[in-house]
Amino acid sequence: MVTGDRLGERFGRLAYGGAVWAGFGFLLLPILLVLWLSFFSNEILSLPPDGYSLRWYEGLLTKRDFIDGFILSLEVAVLATLAGLAVSVPASLVLVRGRFKGREAILNFLMAPLIVPAIVIGAALYIFFIQVEIATDIPLAGSAPGLVGAHVLLTIPWCIRLLTANLVGLDPAIEEAAASLGARGWVILARVTLPLIWPGLVAAALFAFVVSFGNLEISLFLVAPGETTLPIAILQYLEWKLDPTIAAVSTLQVVLIGAGLFATDRVVGLARVV
Amino acid sequence: MATGRAMAWRRAGAMAPASLLVLGFLVLPMLLMLRYSFNSFVPGKFMVEAVTVENYVKLAADPYYRHVLGLTLTVSISVTILTLIVGWPVAQFLARTQTRHKGLLLLAVVLPLFVGNAVRAAGWMVAFGREGLVNRLLQATGLIDVPLQIMFTPTAVIIGIVSVNLSYVVLTLSSVIEGIDRRAEEAALSLGATPFETWRLVTLPLALPGLLAAGVLSFILSMNAYATPVLLGGPSFQMMAPVVADQVLQRANWPFGASLGFVLMLVTLGLTAGANWLVGRRYGR
Repeated sequence: MVTGDRLGERFGRLAYGGAVWAGFGFLLLPILLVLWLSFFSNEILSLPPDGYSLRWYEGLLTKRDFIDGFILSLEVAVLATLAGLAVSVPASLVLVRGRFKGREAILNFLMAPLIVPAIVIGAALYIFFIQVEIATDIPLAGSAPGLVGAHVLLTIPWCIRLLTANLVGLDPAIEEAAASLGARGWVILARVTLPLIWPGLVAAALFAFVVSFGNLEISLFLVAPGETTLPIAILQYLEWKLDPTIAAVSTLQVVLIGAGLFATDRVVGLARVV
Repeated sequence: MATGRAMAWRRAGAMAPASLLVLGFLVLPMLLMLRYSFNSFVPGKFMVEAVTVENYVKLAADPYYRHVLGLTLTVSISVTILTLIVGWPVAQFLARTQTRHKGLLLLAVVLPLFVGNAVRAAGWMVAFGREGLVNRLLQATGLIDVPLQIMFTPTAVIIGIVSVNLSYVVLTLSSVIEGIDRRAEEAALSLGATPFETWRLVTLPLALPGLLAAGVLSFILSMNAYATPVLLGGPSFQMMAPVVADQVLQRANWPFGASLGFVLMLVTLGLTAGANWLVGRRYGR
């Protein structure tokens, strides 16, 4: 009886450990396979590879689609992150500190871009931009402000969520002390509040950047004809073929984002962010 | 009272930019789309002003679109069940581990989330292709002679979406499991329960609201999946999100695309609200 139970327990532990590592393996397998493929010397996928080569990485320098897509994604993501933070910091301050009617409702309202399916937001904005353009002659469809505005919308819920989570832990007494010593509102914000919540700011900036940089569904509707962001360029290439070139592009993206996450982990600790 | 009013104005001013952005870039476009979903579409004449429910009727009655909705629901349910099963052990391990390298383990969960669905789909294409890893391994071990067709099957799409959703589910579950008082589990263990009984009778019931939340999240993400079905399912594998994009962008059938989008959104929002209500009622927050 006892030995049976022990055996069962040991088996259970083994199964649990196996399931944990299988889960991690499942998460990382597709990324590792892409990394592997990017070093194949043969262009058409066949395993095992004929040999290994770095030439696909050199070849990337001539791929205008990917370079232009990367630059556009980078520009849009940087602008969207800055604008997202600029509108979210004041809103978060008020939402955390204030006790007023409708606070909960406004919080939910600002979270809405996270709940509405991205493909629906993209379709709605596409139709809206075209109709606005017809009505007012303001060219929004396929324009940079339209694309950036849509990406700012995407970053707002992430910024608000991460900033409010950080502000809750901040003791208002510290700011009151600064005020009682004669500091004015803006000085308190710049010299006391923001430095104290900077892990939240870093986290919000990182998430906003990554959410914008990686967005596919909304950009798909809003880029100008002939223009692509990096995720769209990758998708369209993959619809056509899978080869070491696209794997090399993907690898560079993985390395870039991995480095950003690793830096965040060193600076603020990933466990506090996610 | 003047200070009270000044205070209220300052509050409104601080919240206005973010709120106006959500209003202008989300609410107004959605309202316009809702209106257009009741317009009618005449081939060759684009969109014709009307107030009709014909688009919604078409969605409910046309066998093709019923198939699209049915396929999307089937895939989403399968994905959700699989994701919860695969995700739980990882989440529990993350929540309970004492290792110094927790940051790195979290990185392993978060990195896939951030590298984009198309990149992950590319990885699965390496595994699933005719000359891919799975077929080569099966052939090397002598289990099959002729390569299996894995790409462009529901299996490939389901595996692909599971791997996309897994990160979200693991993060949601592990924060819930972290919130469970360890002493409850220790009490059960000290009273003679086996680890499995402890899990079944203590941990699982305590984590049920989180399990529901993670399940709903996974279901919603699958319903709205775009890149994974396009790349791993191929052109003939039609799920809701790719069909919405196709109707609006390629076919320029705005009224029908709008009604498809609205149904997709209503299912998503309805489920979120329903799950929140259920958790609130059952566990009274």
